[in-house]
Amino acid sequence: MRARWLSALAVALAVALAAGFSRAPIVSAQQQLDRTKIPAPGKTPVLHVPAWTKSTLADGADFIVSEKHDLPLVSFSITFLGGANQVEPAGLRGIGPLTASMLSEGTRARDGEALSNALQLLGTTVNVAVGAESGSMGFVSTTANFPAALDILDDMLVNSTFPAQALERLRAQRLVALNQAKAQPAAIAGRVFPRVLYGPSHPLGQSPTEASISAITRDQVVAFYRSYFRPARALVTVVGDVNGSSAKAMVERALSSWQAGGDKPAFAYPPLPAPRPTTIFLVDKPAAPQSTFAIGLPGPPRDTPDYFAIQVMNTILGGQFQSRLNANIREDKGYSYGVASSFGFGKGPNPFRGGGDMTAGKTDLALVEFMKELRGITGARPITDEELTTAKDALVQRLPATFASVGGINAAITNIWTQSLPDDYYQQYAKAIAAVTKNDVLRVARTYIDVDHLAIVIVGDRASIEAPLKATAIAPIAVLDIEGAPAGQ
Amino acid sequence: MTRLRLACVALVLLATGAAAADLIRIPFQSTTLPNGLTLVLAPDHTTPTVAVDIWYHVGSKNEVRGRTGFAHLFEHMMFTGSGHVPYGLQDKLTEGVGGGNNATTSNDRTNYFDTVPANYLESALWIEADRMGFLLDAFDHAKLDAQRDVVINERRLRQDNAPYGAVYEILNRTTYPPSNPYSWDVIGSVADLRAASDEDVKNFFRQYYAPNNAVLAIAGDFDPAQAKAWVVKYFGGIPRVGSIARPPVPPVTLSSAQRLVYEDRVQVPRLYVQWPTVGEKSDDRFALDVLGSILAGRRTARLTKALVYDQQSAANVGARQDSNEDVGQFIVSITPRPGHSLTDLEADADAIIARLKSEGPTGDEVRRATAGTELEFLRGLESNLGKAEQLADGVGFHGDAGYFRTEYEKSRSVTAADVKRVANQYLAAGRVILSVVPAGHADQAASPSDSRNVTAEQHAVAGQP
Repeated sequence: MRARWLSALAVALAVALAAGFSRAPIVSAQQQLDRTKIPAPGKTPVLHVPAWTKSTLADGADFIVSEKHDLPLVSFSITFLGGANQVEPAGLRGIGPLTASMLSEGTRARDGEALSNALQLLGTTVNVAVGAESGSMGFVSTTANFPAALDILDDMLVNSTFPAQALERLRAQRLVALNQAKAQPAAIAGRVFPRVLYGPSHPLGQSPTEASISAITRDQVVAFYRSYFRPARALVTVVGDVNGSSAKAMVERALSSWQAGGDKPAFAYPPLPAPRPTTIFLVDKPAAPQSTFAIGLPGPPRDTPDYFAIQVMNTILGGQFQSRLNANIREDKGYSYGVASSFGFGKGPNPFRGGGDMTAGKTDLALVEFMKELRGITGARPITDEELTTAKDALVQRLPATFASVGGINAAITNIWTQSLPDDYYQQYAKAIAAVTKNDVLRVARTYIDVDHLAIVIVGDRASIEAPLKATAIAPIAVLDIEGAPAGQ
Repeated sequence: MTRLRLACVALVLLATGAAAADLIRIPFQSTTLPNGLTLVLAPDHTTPTVAVDIWYHVGSKNEVRGRTGFAHLFEHMMFTGSGHVPYGLQDKLTEGVGGGNNATTSNDRTNYFDTVPANYLESALWIEADRMGFLLDAFDHAKLDAQRDVVINERRLRQDNAPYGAVYEILNRTTYPPSNPYSWDVIGSVADLRAASDEDVKNFFRQYYAPNNAVLAIAGDFDPAQAKAWVVKYFGGIPRVGSIARPPVPPVTLSSAQRLVYEDRVQVPRLYVQWPTVGEKSDDRFALDVLGSILAGRRTARLTKALVYDQQSAANVGARQDSNEDVGQFIVSITPRPGHSLTDLEADADAIIARLKSEGPTGDEVRRATAGTELEFLRGLESNLGKAEQLADGVGFHGDAGYFRTEYEKSRSVTAADVKRVANQYLAAGRVILSVVPAGHADQAASPSDSRNVTAEQHAVAGQP
């Protein structure tokens, strides 16, 4: 028998433990053990939501600090309200992420290599991103390296020089990535699905193209930087092993040359295209051994009062391993490695989307089962008490784990700010989920999963799957190219 | 004066070293049950969750030719219910209460894990014990057929329908001789998956899924005495098996370069170069890890700087050491920009590597490559599952739950001389050079006339059931 312990103190315990094992007569213990009895859970842990303090920095940015001292780690970020959907012109899709990358290409004090080397020696990276409805700039560091990493972030934020040759290199790299994506089924579905849902003139229907990436100029990048990376639209968060009261002064000192001002974005999305009867949009991927499904329609914004009922409903339909879609199509039928669904939830009409990658030879049967589950959740197969309870438990009891890391706490706090949620959102979450009834679940399923107006995007081997799909008579078939435009024969 | 200043420097270094080392800790207790199950407990009350990680010393290298992919297929069978735990209950008692469960299979080990709220630890242990002891009581052929289909779909998703998805299968079957169990892929061939029988499931379970072939690591918010009592209660009566055969794996070297070209459904070609190196048991892997960071990744890494930034002939490059238990490989990959040939990129990369081999890296390069180790370790401590996995790996591969500390210290103490030595020792002429090119464009390969055309093994195609 081996007994290894880390501390000397534990040696005595080791002896006690060894004795404990031999004292418990295994055979008789086993005879008494009824393995059919499910162990009852202990007392539900009390939810502890981290505390945070909110104020405003001298430059006008919102500021939140939250202390966590069990490990010497700090998560720092600046979050910018508004993203590509608000600030990227249609012909310049991709300028946001490109500008974000340019912030690592050099400052007045350090060129790109010097920036990189300095961050490598601090053991960290400053990540800069511009997403669909928000952007961010931040890092996780050790407590000891936090001040130095913050100084480098400030240098990137206020002193970047946007070298023209760096833009050309980044542009060329993105064009290669766009070209590679043409062979990736998931990337094709990811481009075509929003395009057919929202159309090319709606921000949610657009994505970067070879033409838009090629069109972006350095002047446009600099102008984008000057209007976007501004305090008036920003939240600065510090989470972790810092002193709450001195952290603010430290951050203000570090960001002292960040110029006040900027605009808060408007989240006014144009109207959606008129709903279209359910259609199968088939994108040919010759000889593909699987068919990639993306099925859905435009959804409600995050501030819908139905948010909690939708979360419960989708947990039952496709949010978990034992959700109806995966339990049927993967576990029972074996048509796929995984099938799931989700709501996009943002300021605009982000989509409901379900899907997975199905065995090519079972494409038709997989779609039949998929539609059966959508019809089921909208009324054909009422949810059970057990489904309702399990979905609620899963959602509520997941919360403590989201506060395990400094990055997780930072994301939870930032979520409240970007989605304009109440400060006690996490404390009230369990109550809001508990209030959801079976009728609510049915009502939101019928409201938001309109089975007569779905886009069914399927990327697969047209030669072998088109006829079987047609034979299902689920919907008419339109054949599209990989950009989502009608394909020639 | 000089002596005094030196003494001060030494003192400062010692102080810094001590402070840093104190952060590198996971308080744990370890013991072994009479039936051979190694138990590691790492209580940490920061977050009211617990991770249970059960690590079996069996992976694809325990398979035989004709049954490749079986260890992973078997992993799926472990989720189909056991003697006293009906199918689906594990999900209900993990993801259904805000946690989760999953498993991963590698060449060397299979680990199963449950993450649960702190009050569901006992049921997680009950489930894991039941499938270790009583899986076959609930086994039937239909379950095998269903999971076989799921696994074949997993292969299609990850390899057959993914650009560049077949490269590791091709690289490893070329690097290792057919008799070497690292020559086949963890996911296995479709034909072999189809051939797997009920008897295979039963034999594999009886041979490998035993307490004396397992490590159980528990990390998070629990009372150690209570957890031990539950482990004894549920696992204590599961009998050990006789000695477990480990396949012999002789060291591998390649006597010469093997040039291959693979026509794939890709838009952009890519070059892969793989050298056989060393695995988990050799300390040279630490210097090989550093070599990977010095060659590629961050902007000033040598291949990245030269090919992506200075010459701008590549869109991206990668370099890394992969360490398995008995063997390892060092892999460089290069994606060209339009107008640049794989032949030229190979020559340029070779020249950069040759220079590193003759000069060695600078001290600064080594410092930059190792500076992130501390942050990486500390961030790992934020996850109960991350901690449990580190502890289980330590026991399973090194017989020491505290191996994470050794690993940390060895990672941090790699020198420029170490890197120079391993670069010269392992990045030698014997290697595999694989060009992946768009179908019909074998001429885009590096040195096309010297390259042998290969196809992906058992490529699953559309129209097959």
